[in-house]
Amino acid sequence: MSDVSATMDFRRRDAADKLRGRTRYTVDRYLPGMLHAAVLRAGVPSGRIVRLDTSRAARMPGVRAIVTAADAPGMMGIGIADHPLFARDVIRYDGEPLAAVAAGTLAQAQAALAAIDVEIEPLPAVITMADALASDAPLVHPNWRDYEVLLEGGARKGNVAWEATVVRGNVDAAFARADVEIIESSFRVGRQNHVAFEPRAVVASYEDGRFHIETSTQVPWGIRNATARLLGVPPSQVRVTVPPVGGGFGLKFDLAIEPFAALLARASGRPVRLVNSREEEMLTCLFRENADVRIRSAVTRQGDIVGREAVVLMDCGAYGGEQIFLTTMTAHTLGGNYRLGSVRLVSRALYTNTAPNGAFRCCNGVYNTFALERHTDEIAARIGMDPLLFRRRNVLGDKDLGATGQVFEADVLSPMLERMDTLRDAAAPRPARTDGRLYGRATTVGTWFVFVGPSAATVNMNADGTATLVTSGVEIGSGSMMQGLPQIVASTVGIPPESVVVRAADTDAAGYDVGVGGGRTTVSLGAASLSAAQEVRAKLLKVASEMIEAAPEDLVMRHGRVEIAGAPGSGRTVAEVATYAQAKHGPVSGTGAFTGTGVPAMPGCVAGHFIDAIDMPVFAVHDCEVAVDPETGHVEVLNYRVVQDVGRALNPRAIHGQIQGGVVQGLGYALHEEVTMGSNGRVCQSGFETYRVPLALDVVPVEISLYEGAPSMGPLGTKGAGEVPILNVGAAIACAVANATGKRIQELPLTPPRVLELLLDRKRDLTLPHIAEAWADNLVRPHKTPQGNA
Amino acid sequence: MGLSLTVNGDRLASAADPTTPLVDILREELHLTGAKPVCREGFCGACMVLIDGKPTPSCLMPAALADGCEIHTVEGLTTHGQLNRIQSALEASDAVQCGMCFPGMVVSLTHLLTTRPDATREDIRAALTGNICRCTGYERIVDATLLALATK
Repeated sequence: MSDVSATMDFRRRDAADKLRGRTRYTVDRYLPGMLHAAVLRAGVPSGRIVRLDTSRAARMPGVRAIVTAADAPGMMGIGIADHPLFARDVIRYDGEPLAAVAAGTLAQAQAALAAIDVEIEPLPAVITMADALASDAPLVHPNWRDYEVLLEGGARKGNVAWEATVVRGNVDAAFARADVEIIESSFRVGRQNHVAFEPRAVVASYEDGRFHIETSTQVPWGIRNATARLLGVPPSQVRVTVPPVGGGFGLKFDLAIEPFAALLARASGRPVRLVNSREEEMLTCLFRENADVRIRSAVTRQGDIVGREAVVLMDCGAYGGEQIFLTTMTAHTLGGNYRLGSVRLVSRALYTNTAPNGAFRCCNGVYNTFALERHTDEIAARIGMDPLLFRRRNVLGDKDLGATGQVFEADVLSPMLERMDTLRDAAAPRPARTDGRLYGRATTVGTWFVFVGPSAATVNMNADGTATLVTSGVEIGSGSMMQGLPQIVASTVGIPPESVVVRAADTDAAGYDVGVGGGRTTVSLGAASLSAAQEVRAKLLKVASEMIEAAPEDLVMRHGRVEIAGAPGSGRTVAEVATYAQAKHGPVSGTGAFTGTGVPAMPGCVAGHFIDAIDMPVFAVHDCEVAVDPETGHVEVLNYRVVQDVGRALNPRAIHGQIQGGVVQGLGYALHEEVTMGSNGRVCQSGFETYRVPLALDVVPVEISLYEGAPSMGPLGTKGAGEVPILNVGAAIACAVANATGKRIQELPLTPPRVLELLLDRKRDLTLPHIAEAWADNLVRPHKTPQGNA
Repeated sequence: MGLSLTVNGDRLASAADPTTPLVDILREELHLTGAKPVCREGFCGACMVLIDGKPTPSCLMPAALADGCEIHTVEGLTTHGQLNRIQSALEASDAVQCGMCFPGMVVSLTHLLTTRPDATREDIRAALTGNICRCTGYERIVDATLLALATK
């Protein structure tokens, strides 16, 4: 219901201040009388705290407050509450917080940390997932049975923090068929650091008996509720506001340092600033998790995938965190893309004595898509079919079943592959290749989702003809809050998008929201905003019909006016109508709410999942060409093309920016971003010198085609566009490098040393002996036979 | 011993320890928070300022070394609040995302525009290797720089 198209080429309003250096992020906030905080962190991966004495530190110059585990009684987590704010008696990772200090200056706070007397008895540690699964492995959480379970359904035992399973159809029968080839592939990926430019930062105050937390986060309501839980106070005692955020990528989708600052503010009575150092960000980042994947398929020689099974081990580090939730995604990433006859998957989050992992753009999907697409090429090679033909033949289409029995709507991937063929064919042919390098190309597909969930919005119509949009949405850089949302409101009430004021997130002012991430901002907050704006529109039209003496259905709202349809210039301005309405009936406002509908899985098909099936699938097709230098192992990306399902593009230029940026972040993951763990459980890459992110010389311009028209429950047909661009970059690069070199690619990133090893045949096939040969032997709890589909 | 710094044309005195990194004095004493100490290793370029006209990471530079120099931060690159050529081009190109790297990016590119009016696409990419951006994938930034170079 709108008289103006919501599709606009609308520039973001926050650019000019960002370019002038005027934007004040959380790290730029300095309050009068503010104290500076620092956190004492453990230097061993596993140990018992014998003594922690802060009395000497408390007497240090400038020190105003010190807090420890005694001050934060609660436990946090997703699925299971396994995570205390400070280590209590037991240390589970190198870098785990032990105490926090607030002092007049940062130097004083740091000096006080050094004066805290700590005695730690080291204990045996499990650093790798193979260590964690060993029969005699020490338990990272010996008391795992005692934790509060927040969501029932996941199997747990020992170092298995959570286990989610899918069984659909009879996989054993499929693998036993005489007419199939059985193809097995193993993969390993390391951790990736988000390297958000703004570190996690917070300024907290304690005012009138309530906490006020200004923080660099993607989840204001999540911070409010989790901080309250840890501090043992009602959530209503915590207010969270969020200034512009200097990059998130999922890093800021979880609680970080906010409760330390809140506790110190209450203890000292002064505002407290706490900012992670870059080293803390590098060593304790909630990384994209490392994972081990084994996938096995039974495929007919004609190219039908009749059975598939997989085991995915996800390292959650010392605490379950978001990995517990993300075990769900394996069903939709390894079980996506292609039609499968039968399928069984297990996804296990494992505890290790390492820094906890978290969410990162297309979490879980990036490496599972790498594994699935490399596996697909290995299938095509085995049955002697062109890999592109195999994909065309098997991609999910209308009425096809997903892994959990979800029925997909419409043919989307197939026409997207055709679109990619057209793009590729239209490109200018490359000159003859005579430089001795190895050339390869690949096309990969990807299936992802929009993380929906609850959102709320209020639109207040102002008497001057502007509208104020109040939500808990956060501008993290994607532009959704600056472009998509004001466009939706503006088009509904017929005013320019510049006339929509977007209120920064404040949990005291706006309703609940899951958070900004998972491609959900334009979708969930957009749907709530659209609904709120429609209520405003209906109220204004009613008032205008009194003023103009015409029926509401005969009126249109556009260009800042409410007019009789077909009579431009008639009627009144929106401002006049709003002013009149305010005086006669009271100020005009509207509210909107949204949540996902929830798609059910086939009965008995899934166990331990947070989402049974995906509300809103999103698809992507990537194609690239690479050149590999056989002397150095260096991979150069020559061109890169993306066809992305966006539902409907409200601001194509903004989406193009997200795709270029997401692909480049994916190139980092594919080619050089690598976090490694020392035998002491410490991350080896402590800064920009040792962790190599893409530079301007590493990138290529991405050729982009937005695919519109796929079914979507998003407002105006939209889907989230910022998350998915990274999904199949690792897959596309790996397949292209495999095609160029003829070598089996099983690991990312493809750094020059790793590629050289492959070229020189010095790299042994990856084996994963900690994954049991028989699928069922990898389960804590046997999966029940699904009803009716055995 | 006091420091005498000339920042964006103003002469300012500071009693800070002369070994304090310049970026901390700019941010904490002068409240010029445009320069961002993102990596503190001199790699990312987010804290770039012009020192006697030369782009320099302010995170590694002890303030004493800037004593007596002409320092320009991103806040000093606008004239009467108007965006300069590269800032305008970056805005018009919708190049900005989270924006944390852009103050340093603007400093480097403002210098490039005056010293390399003939810069090619590859020159610009090479010049940007000292300014890391995690959001944009750089292409918009390079496009905007070419646009600014073409705008006289």
